[in-house]
Amino acid sequence: MTWPWVSAALGGAVRRTAADPARLLVPVGFYVLVVAVLGSLWQAAAGQNGGTLAGYTAAALVWYIAGSEAATVALDLRMIERVGDDIASGAVVVELLRPVSVLGMRVATELGRSLPVLGMCLAAGTLLGLASTGSVPNLASAALAVPALLLAIACNILAQHAFAAASFWLRDARSAWFLYQKLVFLLGGMLIPIEVFPPWLQAAAKALPFVAMSYVPARLLAGFFEPWLLALQLGWLVVLGVTAAAAFAAGERRVQAVGG
Amino acid sequence: MRAVGAALRGAAAEAWANRQAFWLQVTVMVVNDVAWIVFWALFFRRVGSLRGWDLERVLLLWAVLTTVAGLALGFLANARRIAQYARDGSLDAVLALPVSPLPYLLVRRLDTTNLGDLAFGLVLFAVGGRPTPQRVLLFAAGVACGTLLLTGFLVLVESLAFFTRRSEAGELAFHAVLLLASYPIDVFAGATKLALYTVVPAAFVAAVPARLVDQFDLRTAALLLAASVGFAAAGWATFTGGLRRYTAGAAWTRP
Repeated sequence: MTWPWVSAALGGAVRRTAADPARLLVPVGFYVLVVAVLGSLWQAAAGQNGGTLAGYTAAALVWYIAGSEAATVALDLRMIERVGDDIASGAVVVELLRPVSVLGMRVATELGRSLPVLGMCLAAGTLLGLASTGSVPNLASAALAVPALLLAIACNILAQHAFAAASFWLRDARSAWFLYQKLVFLLGGMLIPIEVFPPWLQAAAKALPFVAMSYVPARLLAGFFEPWLLALQLGWLVVLGVTAAAAFAAGERRVQAVGG
Repeated sequence: MRAVGAALRGAAAEAWANRQAFWLQVTVMVVNDVAWIVFWALFFRRVGSLRGWDLERVLLLWAVLTTVAGLALGFLANARRIAQYARDGSLDAVLALPVSPLPYLLVRRLDTTNLGDLAFGLVLFAVGGRPTPQRVLLFAAGVACGTLLLTGFLVLVESLAFFTRRSEAGELAFHAVLLLASYPIDVFAGATKLALYTVVPAAFVAAVPARLVDQFDLRTAALLLAASVGFAAAGWATFTGGLRRYTAGAAWTRP
């Protein structure tokens, strides 16, 4: 059997995170703050531009931010640093002794950790959105936003592991999390809908995987019924999964060659 | 004061010992700050100006904010870790010394990453803040007040862990004050705006000092000074009161 360890890792992580509600206070509280602040900013900006901005109404922008922030706040922003530390310190060697994939186990655990936070953020975001705009812009696209959020988180976790795998060679990739985070913030459309970018930057952002991590669920939650965006996420999920697996496989061989 | 100065010199030597890591961390923070400026440039390129705020004013806000953050979080880095020390019971090493614990604790660790903020803030003001002797003086005074206020606020919220044994509230307050300080204050209205001048005093960290650089007004300056001294005193009092409840961890670690 290949899969029981995945559900065990995922379920265990969900239970551990949900068991300490006080720990959820920081990410969920931060999420509420960010949505309130950025929502106010974009609403004011749309209001000043005759009610719409780059094709988004003021209400759509609030829902956009609720979606983009939920997809990123649900994850540990410093995951790259943590994974990099485990690799650089040699702690990862113990994980190699298990008869399961190191990457698979870590991805399942991170996904499990993020789910309770995502659920809370989504609930808080829905309440904030309803309080601020009165209704969901489009129920059909909002329904698509739920699987899109899960895919966004999965893409993000895989990409962070692919980045962190550099520690197998560099020994110190800790600072990379800061730069990676900014790529998601800007090119991923977390802070700003990519339609606001100048055309050349928009084209560049659409060609990069970061849009799958924030922009896609946000765009769907904002009321744009574009199911093909889920296919885009699935494509990036495969690419990032293969990249992370190849990076870890090469890195693990190196650790074994050095002797741990 | 001699002991505090020696501790600061020790922390600086420690941070400088690994030059490669030092410059890497400084550079990473500068790149991080540049990303925020890119965000605001893209925003105002599309929006024009918003409730009296344009790119130039936001650049000044960011110059003040990053300089304040560089000083408060870079040179007084332990202000963010008091809750962790209180919870772990690892203040023993500080309490055993014949020095006032709070100043010593604050300067004992230097966070290299935030020194990138300091460098960025000063360069941003020099480049985009239209520096004149008067504006430089107001910038320096505003940064001093903002640093005092931010440090006092962080010490206050972190010291609550002496009473609650939990660090989450302090962590959330830290994120909240920096986040709220980084946006134009006039985007907010009503109770939210009031909260930014009182409960989470983010307005006094950067927006008010930046406004004073542009339009000096004695009443606002006095309010900023009073808020800074008030939060510093509240932080000191909460830390001192919390120490009375501190239970030693018997762990002779060096914070």
